[in-house]
Amino acid sequence: MERKKLSAAKLRQYLPLYLMMLPALIYLFINNYIPMAGIVVAFKKFNANDGMFGSPWAGLTNFTYLFGSNDTAIIIRNTLLYNVAFIIVNTVAGIMLAIFISDVVSHKLKKLYQSAVLLPFLISIVVVSYIVFALLSHENGMLNKGLFPALGIEPVQWYNDTTWWPLILIVTNCWKGVGYGTLIYIAAIAGIDNSFYEAAELDGANKWQQITRITLPCLVPSIITLLIMNIGKIFYSDFGLFYQVPQNSGSLFTVTNTIDTYVYRALVSSGGIGRSSAASLFQSVVGFVLVMVSNLIVRKASPDNAIF
Amino acid sequence: MVAQEGPNQQKVNEAINELALKELNMKVNMIPMTWGTYNNQISMMLAANEPLDIFLAFADRFSTYIESQYVVDLSQYTNELQGAFEVLGEDAECGYIGDFLVGLGQMKERGYPAGLIVRKDIFDELGYKVEDFNVSPDDYSSFNQITELFAKVKEAHPDMICMDGTSIMGLQDLSYMDNLGSDFGVLENYGQTTTVTNWFESEQWKNFCQIGREWFTKGYLSQDIAVNQDSGELKMKAGNCFSFIANVKPNTNVEKLAQTGYEVEVIPLGDAMKNTNAVNSALISVANASKDPQKAAIFLNWIYTSQEFNDLINWGIEGEDWVLTEDGLAAYPDGVDANSVGYHNDFGYVYPNQFAGHPWTGNPADIWEQYEVYNSGITTSKAYGFTFDSTPVATEEAQLVAVRDQYWKDLAFGAVDFDEKFQEFNDALYAAGLQTVMDEKQRQLDEWLAAQ
Repeated sequence: MERKKLSAAKLRQYLPLYLMMLPALIYLFINNYIPMAGIVVAFKKFNANDGMFGSPWAGLTNFTYLFGSNDTAIIIRNTLLYNVAFIIVNTVAGIMLAIFISDVVSHKLKKLYQSAVLLPFLISIVVVSYIVFALLSHENGMLNKGLFPALGIEPVQWYNDTTWWPLILIVTNCWKGVGYGTLIYIAAIAGIDNSFYEAAELDGANKWQQITRITLPCLVPSIITLLIMNIGKIFYSDFGLFYQVPQNSGSLFTVTNTIDTYVYRALVSSGGIGRSSAASLFQSVVGFVLVMVSNLIVRKASPDNAIF
Repeated sequence: MVAQEGPNQQKVNEAINELALKELNMKVNMIPMTWGTYNNQISMMLAANEPLDIFLAFADRFSTYIESQYVVDLSQYTNELQGAFEVLGEDAECGYIGDFLVGLGQMKERGYPAGLIVRKDIFDELGYKVEDFNVSPDDYSSFNQITELFAKVKEAHPDMICMDGTSIMGLQDLSYMDNLGSDFGVLENYGQTTTVTNWFESEQWKNFCQIGREWFTKGYLSQDIAVNQDSGELKMKAGNCFSFIANVKPNTNVEKLAQTGYEVEVIPLGDAMKNTNAVNSALISVANASKDPQKAAIFLNWIYTSQEFNDLINWGIEGEDWVLTEDGLAAYPDGVDANSVGYHNDFGYVYPNQFAGHPWTGNPADIWEQYEVYNSGITTSKAYGFTFDSTPVATEEAQLVAVRDQYWKDLAFGAVDFDEKFQEFNDALYAAGLQTVMDEKQRQLDEWLAAQ
C-alpha cells in the first residue's frame, strides 16, 4: 500500500521528465524496433512479388551455408581471436597513451599529441591498405627493398606468407583505432578530482603509485563501458581491415578470413537477401548474448559499474 | 549506367525524354549510376521493389533474380520486342534460362580471346612485328615466343616490369573454354565437347600455370601481381609496364591508346570462341517493379533500334559533346577534350546497340562491319544458347567461389610453388562440392542438347 502510493507520487513528480523522453522513445521505436520485423527475411525464401511477409518460409536453410563449409571453424576462430586481441591491445595502449598525454604540461603540445593519435582513426581504410602495401610490397616495398637489405635480412613474401599477418593486422588496427579510445580516456582522466593527486603527493606517493592507485581505479567505469560495447561487436569484423589491408590475397585467407569477408565473398556473386540477413542475424544474436553475459558478470563483480 | 558523371547528364536525360515522347509517347526517367555503386544500389532497389523498369542484370545473378522474382519473363512480350530480336538475331536465344527470357544482350563483340597488349615503342625498338608471333594453346611451347620477348625487354630495360595487371592465361575464364556461366565444370577446347570437366585440373590449366610460374620466377611479372588490383591499362599508363593481358577484339588498339596513353600492338594468345556467356554476361532486363511491363518492353525494343538514342546515351548532346566528322565518325567538337566534355561515356558494350550509333573517331569508319565479320567468323561453343540454372547448387557455388579465390590467382600468376598448391586447390574444390555442381551442369546440358 505504502509502496504504491510512493510510486504514484513519484510518477507525478517525474511526469515532465517522462514526457520529455517520449519523442526520443517514439523515434527509437520507429527507427530501431519496427525494422526488426525484417528479421523474418532470414527465415524466408524471399521473392519480390510476395514481399517480406508473404514469401514462403525457408526454415533454417539460409543459415546452412554459414555452417556447412569446411572453413567455418577457421572463420569463427579468426573473428573471435582477432577481436579479443584488438580489445586487449587497444585498451592497454589507449590507457597508456591517455595517461601520457594527460601529463603533458604544455597545453599546445597536449592538443598536438591528441590530434596526432586521432588522425589515423579518420583515415580511410583503403588509404591505410596502401600505406601497408608501400611497406610490404614485394616489388618496391620499403621493408623488402630498403630496410631488410641494409640489415642483411632475407626479403619476405609478405602477401604469400601467413606467419606475420596476425601481428600486422593487430598493429595496423591499433595504429588506426587507438586514438578513439584514447580520447575517451583523456576525457575521463580530466574528470578526476585534482585533490586526489594533491593529497597523494602530500603523502609522498610517486607517479607510479598515483597511476595505479588513483588514475586506473577512476577509469574503471569508462573501461568497462567501452569493453562491453566492444564485446557486443566481437562477432563483427572491420571489413576494410580484413579485406583491403591484405589486398584480398588468396594465400592469406586462412589468417584473414572472418565472418564479414566470408559472407561478402560468398554473396557478392549470388546476392541473396535471405542469406545476407541470416548472417547478420547470427552476428547480432551472438553479440547480444555476449553483451548480456558480460554485463551480468560485471554486475556480479561490481554492481556500480554495470551498464544496466 | 554511366562511366562517369558529367555536367551534361541532365541535358541528356531531357533529350532522351523528348525523343521518347516524340517517337513512343512515353516519359522516361534515367537513373545514372557508376560501376562503383551500381551493384550495391541495384540489389537494394530490386529487393525493396522500388519503381524501376529497365536495368542491367549480370549473368552470375540471374538465378537469384528469377528465384526472388526481381525480373519479368520477357517471353510474354515477344511481339513488342520484334525489332530488337531482328537486331540480335540468334544471339537473343542466350537470354533464356529454360523458358524464361531474362533479358536481351548488347550488340558487341561475341568472343573474348586473350591477347597480350604490348607497348609499340619498345616492341618496335626491339625489332619485333606482330606477324612474328604465332601463339596458341594448341602448342604450349609457342608461349616461349613471349618468354623470349620478355627476356629481350628485360635486357634492354632492366627496370621495366615486363607484364603487370590483373590477368594471365590461367585467369582468362572466358577465352579458352566455355565456362557455362561459372568456372566450376566447363567445356574445354573452346567448347568443342559436350562433356563437363574440371578446368582447374586440366592439362591446359596446368600448362598455363607453369608458364605463369616461369615468367614469375624469372622476374618478368611484377612480384606483386598476385595481389595487384589495378588494371593493366592503369599500370601501363603509369609508365613502367611493358605489357598486360586482356580480352581483345577488332578495335582493341584504338581503345587501349585512349586508356593507356601509349600506342600498342596486340599479340593474340589463342582463338576466339562464341559462347552463351559472351552474349549474356550482362542482359538488359525489365524489373518486376515495373508498373507496365508491356510499355517497358516497347521502350526496350526502341532502344535497340534508335540511332539517336544510342548516340545520346554514349556520346551525349550532338553539337555540344560531339560532332559528326566528314567520314561519318563521332568526335569531340573544336575546343572540347576528354577533360572538358560535358558528357562522354564510350560504354558501347553496356548500352543496347552501339552498332546503331556512330563509332568514335580513331576507329576505322567500317568498324561495325569489321565487328560483324569478326563475330560471324569465330568458333561457336557446342553449348551456345544454353544457360546453366545454378539455383539447385547455389550453396556449393558460393563455397566454390571462395575456394577459387583463395588459390587461383597465386597459381595462375605462378606466385606460389605449383606442385605444392595445385593438388591442394583441387582437393579443396572437390571438398566444396565441385562434383555436385559438375553433375548438375552435365544433367542440364544433356537435357538441353536433347531438346535441340
